[in-house]
Amino acid sequence: MGNRIVENDISIEELLSEDPDGIILSGGPTLERSGRSQSYLEEIDLPFLGICLGHQIIANTFGGSVRRGKEEYAEVEVEILDGDDIFMDMPNKIKVWSSHGDEVVEISPMLKRLARSDICEYEAIRHRERPIFGVQWHPEVYHTERGEKIFKNFVEICRG
Amino acid sequence: MDTKGFIRETIEAIREEVKGKALMALSGGVDSSVCAYLSHKAIGSDLYPVFIDTGLMRLDEPAKIKETFKEMDLRVINAKESFLDSLRGVEEPEEKRKVIGNLFIRVFEEVARKVGARYLIQGTIYPDRIESEGGIKSHHNVGGMPLDYDFEEVIEPLRDLYKDEVREVARALSLPDEISERMPYPGPGMAVRILGEVTEEKLKIVKRANKIVEEEIKAYNPWQAFAALLGKGTGVKGDRRVYGWIISVRAVESRDGMTVNFLRLPWDTLERISFRITGEVPGVSRVVYDITPKPPATIEYE
Repeated sequence: MGNRIVENDISIEELLSEDPDGIILSGGPTLERSGRSQSYLEEIDLPFLGICLGHQIIANTFGGSVRRGKEEYAEVEVEILDGDDIFMDMPNKIKVWSSHGDEVVEISPMLKRLARSDICEYEAIRHRERPIFGVQWHPEVYHTERGEKIFKNFVEICRG
Repeated sequence: MDTKGFIRETIEAIREEVKGKALMALSGGVDSSVCAYLSHKAIGSDLYPVFIDTGLMRLDEPAKIKETFKEMDLRVINAKESFLDSLRGVEEPEEKRKVIGNLFIRVFEEVARKVGARYLIQGTIYPDRIESEGGIKSHHNVGGMPLDYDFEEVIEPLRDLYKDEVREVARALSLPDEISERMPYPGPGMAVRILGEVTEEKLKIVKRANKIVEEEIKAYNPWQAFAALLGKGTGVKGDRRVYGWIISVRAVESRDGMTVNFLRLPWDTLERISFRITGEVPGVSRVVYDITPKPPATIEYE
């Protein structure tokens, strides 16, 4: 499985022309700069993994709310409440690295909470029916424990 | 990453792109050195490596770089006065980076005219672009670089690599350890390690303090370790009040510079650094250790 990085405002047709197996919504500075991410989530029936801003976009799209919260930078200890799918074969507690000022404060019944910390109650979420996952922290950075495992799990989910 | 494939394809691409002579902007760091070696393999004597002595480098650095690149017919341009003049009165960090980026290009243009080169090759890497385009800080070779440059083309062969990948390429090219394992050093040099206006006095102090920090921390294999000059504070030396400079010591570990943490140095080492800096560098009366990760801080101060 290869990977391609594209801008978050390309059209759905253009995105699908890449023939993706799954889509990762990356981090970014503010919800205002989320491009067409929301329409990808609504209209494309593929696995999604949202990271940081991507996680907040998922919450927002499916009826949750995002607000200016307690800020988290660098190391945060996260408690995983549901070890299926995206957190398969991972310990219950991991030290991860975060960098955000906004946070998810509420989710709708369409979503399910997967992880929490003492600073943020919605560190990870998923869609109840579709393979859509969000993590508030950054699994892609060196200092996050077991970050690579999350990507491997996501690849497995994409393989179906 | 496929290092061998990358080297082969990059050399071919440079050969393809450069029609004539090219200047190579060389700072002596791992990025521009790798770039210089690849470009030299690609176009040989059509490559003109140029090192600008900005006066903002570390102590003795220009001399060391001349020695390392003596086989490549390196041109060293002394532009110390121009840099110091242009920075006079400039306090705002982004403005500083732009002044420096602009001057770099103007000096390169002048050399290019003399030797008849139409291309500029520089060692920009992926994080330089992320940080510049994301508005975090303007790297002198990307966001801080003027767009009205007088080159046919600016070529950036390493633009998609992270630092650790550049090091892999350096090792595969069998470059000496002092290049492949060299600590990152910012393009604008000491100018971003001096808060506020850059003056000759501050430069002298921060360079001497920096040398001590590098010497004392070398054994801990830091990703980066340096001194920065923050401002002034009250002290007492030999029963006399001094209003002296405050030096911050920064030492961090990382894989790629995208996230870093401070080194948990032994107290004895920190104590020795403080003792040496306050004793050996006149005008310094206080030394602090920076314990902030990135994020929220960056590695460099400005």
